[in-house]
Amino acid sequence: MTASEDRDLVARAVSGQDTAAFGELVRRHQSHVRNFLRKLAGDYTLADDLAQDCFMHAWDKLQTYSGRGSFIGWLLKVAYTTFLQSKRKSKRYAEILESAGRVADQESRSTVLPADEITDLDKFLSVLTEEERAIMVMSYACGLSHREIGDATDMPIGTVKSVIFRGKEKIRNSFDIKDHQHG
Amino acid sequence: MAERIKDAEDRLLESLFESAPVVDDGFSVNIVRKINRRLWVRRLTLPTAALIGGAIAFKPLAGLTAALSNLSVLIPQDLISGAASSIPQLQTVVLGAILLAVGLFSVRMLEE
Repeated sequence: MTASEDRDLVARAVSGQDTAAFGELVRRHQSHVRNFLRKLAGDYTLADDLAQDCFMHAWDKLQTYSGRGSFIGWLLKVAYTTFLQSKRKSKRYAEILESAGRVADQESRSTVLPADEITDLDKFLSVLTEEERAIMVMSYACGLSHREIGDATDMPIGTVKSVIFRGKEKIRNSFDIKDHQHG
Repeated sequence: MAERIKDAEDRLLESLFESAPVVDDGFSVNIVRKINRRLWVRRLTLPTAALIGGAIAFKPLAGLTAALSNLSVLIPQDLISGAASSIPQLQTVVLGAILLAVGLFSVRMLEE
């Protein structure tokens, strides 16, 4: 799965309206996009619906991909925008996130979880704000560089770095990850 | 992540954020099917609208043409004979509309 292959597929999809080439791009990157949205939304069905919307938007905007950064970085930008737009539109989203956040927040405030129990990533992510969550997932789950995250979120690299620093600090304070590291 | 140096905490976070790949199970096929469907809908929209519009407009246009031909008695004979050759017949108008619709459809197909 190389970047040049991605660029070739994009070129084929844009110039000839080649849906098979776009299908190949979807097949290559669906796992990253769906995992990203699942971690962000905390609801698998909703995340998969958003992933579908994301790829439909990606098809519409494919000619705007300049080929400068990685295709997955561009795709995650579309996914993040789709998530934010959908969240703004949907009241349901707000309710789900609010309730999930509140439960996890109460739990994290009341106890510092023993290292062995840090298995639920949703709880882990719930100590972060939405923006921190998106950036941390892009960085640690999807392996994007700070520059790519900056492009995806329209943030300067310095801001990306400070959000990651803040996110790490929050995680460190809420869950004793050093114990986890050694244990 | 080439631009940053990963420390032990970064590696730990990577392992914590790691998750199993999501199986495609028809997801990409579904997307392609949706896009193909949408492309066909777009291709057919303009010609279909032109045909429906033509069908709706056909009867009133025919009536209008008949009414205009009845009014022609009021126009001086020498003017009619001069202009008659430049006014298209109803059959020509309909044929022209069909050709226009087919032409637009073909151009769209070629574009896509």
